[in-house]
Amino acid sequence: MKVEISRRRFLQSSVALSVLGGTALGATNILANNSTDIKSDTALMKKIPTVCEMCVNKCAAIAQVKNGIVTKLDPNPYFPKSKNMLCARGAAGIHALYDPDRLKYPLIRIGKRGDGKYRRASWEEANEYIKEKMVKILDEEKDNRSCIGYCAGEGMAEHTYKSFMADKFGSSNFINHASICLQTTVSGYALTIGGYGQADLDNAKYVIMAGANRAEAIVTPDTMDLFKRTRGRGTKLVVVDPRFTNTVAHADKYLAIKPGTDLAFVLALTYQVLITQTYNRTYVKNNFNGFEEYKNHILQNEYTPEWAEKITGISAKEICHIASEFMANAPQSIYYQGRRSTFAKNDFQLRRAQAIFTALGGGIDVKGGIVFGRKLPLGSHDINIPMYANAKERIEKGAAAIIGGSGSWIAWRNMVTEGKTPYAIRGLFVYKQNPMLSVPNTAKTKKMLEKLDLIVVIDTMPSDTAMYADVILPECTYLEREDPIKSFAGVEPAIILRQKTIDPMYESKPVIEIMNGLAKKLSKPLWEITKKYDEDVQEELSELESGDTEEDYYKDNGFDLADAFEESQEHINEHMFREKYDEDAWKTLREKGVYYPFMDVSFEKLDNNTYKYYEEYEKNFTVVKLEDESQQEEMDTCVNPKDIAEIRRKFSTPSRKIECSLASMAKKGIASMPTWEDKDYVKVPEGKFKFISGRHAQFTQNATQNNIMLLELMNENFVWINDKDAKFRDIEFGDVIEVTSKVGKVTIKAYPTAKIVPSTIFYIHGFGAKSTGMTFAHRNGASDNEIIEDRIEPVFGSAIMHDTIVSIRKV
Amino acid sequence: MNYAMALDYQNCINCKACETACKEENGVQLGSHKQRIWVGIVEGTIFGKPYMNFYPSQCNHCIDAPCVSVCPTYASHFISGGIVKVDPSKCILCKGCMEACPYDARFIDDTMVAVDKCTFCDHRIDEYGTTACQATCPTKVRLFGDLDDEDSDLVKLLKTKRFFFQKEHASTLPKLFYIVPDDEPYARQSIGHNTVIHTWDEFKPKYDAARDRRSKEWKR
Ligand code: SF4
Ligand code: SF4
Ligand code: SF4
Ligand code: SF4
Repeated sequence: MKVEISRRRFLQSSVALSVLGGTALGATNILANNSTDIKSDTALMKKIPTVCEMCVNKCAAIAQVKNGIVTKLDPNPYFPKSKNMLCARGAAGIHALYDPDRLKYPLIRIGKRGDGKYRRASWEEANEYIKEKMVKILDEEKDNRSCIGYCAGEGMAEHTYKSFMADKFGSSNFINHASICLQTTVSGYALTIGGYGQADLDNAKYVIMAGANRAEAIVTPDTMDLFKRTRGRGTKLVVVDPRFTNTVAHADKYLAIKPGTDLAFVLALTYQVLITQTYNRTYVKNNFNGFEEYKNHILQNEYTPEWAEKITGISAKEICHIASEFMANAPQSIYYQGRRSTFAKNDFQLRRAQAIFTALGGGIDVKGGIVFGRKLPLGSHDINIPMYANAKERIEKGAAAIIGGSGSWIAWRNMVTEGKTPYAIRGLFVYKQNPMLSVPNTAKTKKMLEKLDLIVVIDTMPSDTAMYADVILPECTYLEREDPIKSFAGVEPAIILRQKTIDPMYESKPVIEIMNGLAKKLSKPLWEITKKYDEDVQEELSELESGDTEEDYYKDNGFDLADAFEESQEHINEHMFREKYDEDAWKTLREKGVYYPFMDVSFEKLDNNTYKYYEEYEKNFTVVKLEDESQQEEMDTCVNPKDIAEIRRKFSTPSRKIECSLASMAKKGIASMPTWEDKDYVKVPEGKFKFISGRHAQFTQNATQNNIMLLELMNENFVWINDKDAKFRDIEFGDVIEVTSKVGKVTIKAYPTAKIVPSTIFYIHGFGAKSTGMTFAHRNGASDNEIIEDRIEPVFGSAIMHDTIVSIRKV
Repeated sequence: MNYAMALDYQNCINCKACETACKEENGVQLGSHKQRIWVGIVEGTIFGKPYMNFYPSQCNHCIDAPCVSVCPTYASHFISGGIVKVDPSKCILCKGCMEACPYDARFIDDTMVAVDKCTFCDHRIDEYGTTACQATCPTKVRLFGDLDDEDSDLVKLLKTKRFFFQKEHASTLPKLFYIVPDDEPYARQSIGHNTVIHTWDEFKPKYDAARDRRSKEWKR
């Protein structure tokens, strides 16, 4: 083989951006030869620690600010979770701040929904507009606060928004990203081993990563830990995926699997370790509940490796081999939990089976296994929550076995779209989310948005969803605001603070101020409506003791909606932190952006690439309470992870043990143990394809789609198709392909490759914006949710992402 | 001082944080062909099985830099530490250096109307001791340092590992040290047959001699 590289680019057509010229930030190399200029430069420079919000990881960053302009984002070495790195998106955060398409001032719609015609308004006007509509709607709905739904994307200020909409305004119809992301896997692990935990990839010896792609879907610290240790460097990595991803490029072993069959693979692994009795028997005796039942279930159903081979396409021999290697390395063996999940209808069962399989080796709450870590405490920030007698419970309660507080996006949307709600849903508030691109079956989302009487979007960018809003409220970006302080649980826990690096640009505002303005506007008029319809309030008002005024009642019972948002975020943060830590700690947090106890003594720079955060003995690998606390001493002196694993624990599950069988689920019609159902498996008809989606290291879902710096790295998405499938259809690289499903149709350019299994096509999520407000992202490729069918799994109502059958045609 | 960089290329996940950080740090012109730094990808199939190798790369700051020799206006020059730089005010865009460079490390910056390339982030060495691309990398592929300093992390690393260069046959004495992976199969998969593998002891005298020969040109 010959390896000589000079070719720089592969599969990256050039972006027509050079016309824009250099960035405004090109000062450095112009001045580089002039030392006097460099000095005066330094004098103007401020370095402000902050926290990245280009994705959900929250890496610590340091903003270099020169003359009020953010010129560079550097990694902040102090945060143990992000370990002194900023990924491409993090480094490109400046272009989120200086995106020319940003929402700059409040806008009020003047055209039809979706056509993008707006007029500039003042904050006062915008709030007034919302108030008038809200008063009318709430009056008509007799103070049923839940008639206004609200959704949010993940972010540090999500809670502030939520406390307005849920706690103060009083709607129960909240939907966030969980049901289109990680609900099934988080809950699957939580109900089985007592928590989702964190895979200790820094110490694991054997990792099975199925469907997860840590090289391209970056998760901290997993990504940084794993790829320094694969292939002969401490961890054996087995990757199971229908696609040959950048993660696979690092795998010790790659198993190409048919999409939707992962559960059969795990069940066969389980069968194999049960039949060969290679699982940790002491661990099972001490820490399992319902083991015999599960064992019988697996054996009786004959989930043999041979059985799984036919379903998954992975050879029985390989399955046996992996089962034995996994147990040989246990308890430092992990079946990786995964994040954005719900591949198929059985996803909850899949995640449960993964958790039980890991536990069979004892790899829970032990170094090198799945660990829970500790969290540093923070003080509280109380708010006065009013009670509304007429606010009804959320509409989609019956859509699945357990609809939690974050809802089911698809079920909720479909009920509204199809007019099947138990009471009228009249409006929607959208914060930092873009359901037009992020929820399967875009046509239905559009229909829902067209129906509503009031849509308010709070965002930084004119997204596809914003184009349906009646009122758009411009939020400032993460670099222009202080956000709620955050404590991160982990083996090496820490507290971080996102500080403002420059003042909000244009007329944009942080959410806390947006909520404050809106609350002030709405509070009294809505109070009048509550008084008119709320019998509890009416009764209590009639019984007021003499001397108490209605105003006192209004204030004391939290009906003053603005009272929660009057203090500044800076003030709230200081208060929450200082309740638990001293003045010096507060100073450290402000100066360094990160704080954890004894940081001043244990933090050490080992070299330009490596930092030490906690002393080894201070790391929180094993934290679950022991059943017999007198064994604590034994635990503390143990060095062998196997011995540590075997000591009896009290896990955070109902039986305090690893739960093999969930009887409570059976009552709701959900299998109590992971079970393969042939009928649920979606087969691919001859000539058709299964569509799968995924993430990419240079984009975060659709949130970064207009970032010019990132668009240089990839400016449109391509559809992956197996090279043989492509050849058969005479499809070549770059050919335009029409992809059609039951719910939609897109066109996209082809990328034939051996890196995907046959009968499967793939393209990256987050592209294909239609909003003309997004100059650079506009129509660059295709959006996956235009074609993904809107089906939900039965446990949490999460969107099934990988079960859509499509046909393709060269156009 | 003789600046160089070691690359533990086995760590690279092709995330392109380095490219982005470089652009932001140095105000490199936008455009996907305007790169001071890139990741070379070699992919293919062996008996139907796909494989993919990543080779993060940038200017090698060669000791015998042909780009410097060929430059008619002395725009391409060495600075201290043997860093190869371009003085945009002297560049007449003859493109001789772009032709001469075996690594395709140079491109035209239209905003400066001059050739541009990696500078080893010379403006931030004093303050940070490292480059923007090294600092930002999630898996810490790069290690920047001084070959003349026996105590530097770079030399310590090179003493314990074997290494190779890209296109060594071009005889420019390049200074991007690709660390040979400890894992045999991975090394076999990612290092070409004809590539020469070096050790510090064998390498050092040759590069020291070359440095002595050229370093009079390394002005501040
Ligand atoms: S992983 Fe990247 S985008 Fe996400 S928080 Fe960290 S630096 Fe920012
Ligand atoms: S930042 Fe590091 S891992 Fe990412 S592409 Fe560059 S060298 Fe590779
Ligand atoms: S890599 Fe190319 S540009 Fe850099 S010094 Fe060598 S010849 Fe010159
Ligand atoms: S050393 Fe500096 S200039 Fe060179 S590639 Fe790295 S970041 Fe860019």
